[in-house]
Amino acid sequence: MIEWIRFWITAVILFCGILAFILEVAGLFRLGFVMNRMHASGIGDSFGLGCVVFAMIISSGLNLDSLKLFLLILFMWLTSPVSTHFLSRIEVNTNPFIARYVRFGTDYGKK
Amino acid sequence: MTVDLAYQYLFTGALTVMAVLIGIILIRSIIGPRIIDRILCINMIGTLVICTIAILSQMLDESYLTDIAIIYAMLSFLTVLILASVYIRRLNLTDEDEGMKAGEQPPGVQAFGAQDVSLGQTKETQASVPAAGSLQQDKNSRETVPQREVPHD
Repeated sequence: MIEWIRFWITAVILFCGILAFILEVAGLFRLGFVMNRMHASGIGDSFGLGCVVFAMIISSGLNLDSLKLFLLILFMWLTSPVSTHFLSRIEVNTNPFIARYVRFGTDYGKK
Repeated sequence: MTVDLAYQYLFTGALTVMAVLIGIILIRSIIGPRIIDRILCINMIGTLVICTIAILSQMLDESYLTDIAIIYAMLSFLTVLILASVYIRRLNLTDEDEGMKAGEQPPGVQAFGAQDVSLGQTKETQASVPAAGSLQQDKNSRETVPQREVPHD
């Protein structure tokens, strides 16, 4: 009985993660600008991976494997915003038509 | 129906959906208009592959696949950073936050320590960058960037 409860909790959280990935791919095709697509990518990178790996933690129980999976969640949550910020910085600096999409403040670039 | 069979069906369904999603993201990375879209799609494919390996480690009951997932996460992060830094070095970006002008090298280029690569790129990039006096000084329009590629959107 306790195994079935664990199975259904795993199934529900895994379904949430898969739904986040489907939303991510849908947003990748629906949105029209690169930074909006970066937002859609951030949904899957944080929520989707967190849900899927947390479902695997519940499925495996409390052992060394679940500790490694927890470290995987921690690592991805720390490094995914860094890479997204890096890409958005390149986009702002290289797109010559950036002013069509993004409104900068009047004191942008001043200290 | 035992619990093991139910886990088998659940994980097989999840892996199937993820494989289809990886194919769709690959299509997006092919039709992506600029190079930022492609790097972003590489990042997303890396995330999905990490989730796939994490599911496989529970489905096959192999504990060492979790280590492979962690190593893949590190490699995916490193891939995005290296691709982005190569792109910065090729385009010879102007960084207005640091108070740089258009012709100068950004400080990140020297920090990466690849002198031979930046020396090889300098003649090509400085030939295409116009003189600093002829550039527009309007910061809001941001037309001062040398237009290497024309965006399609």
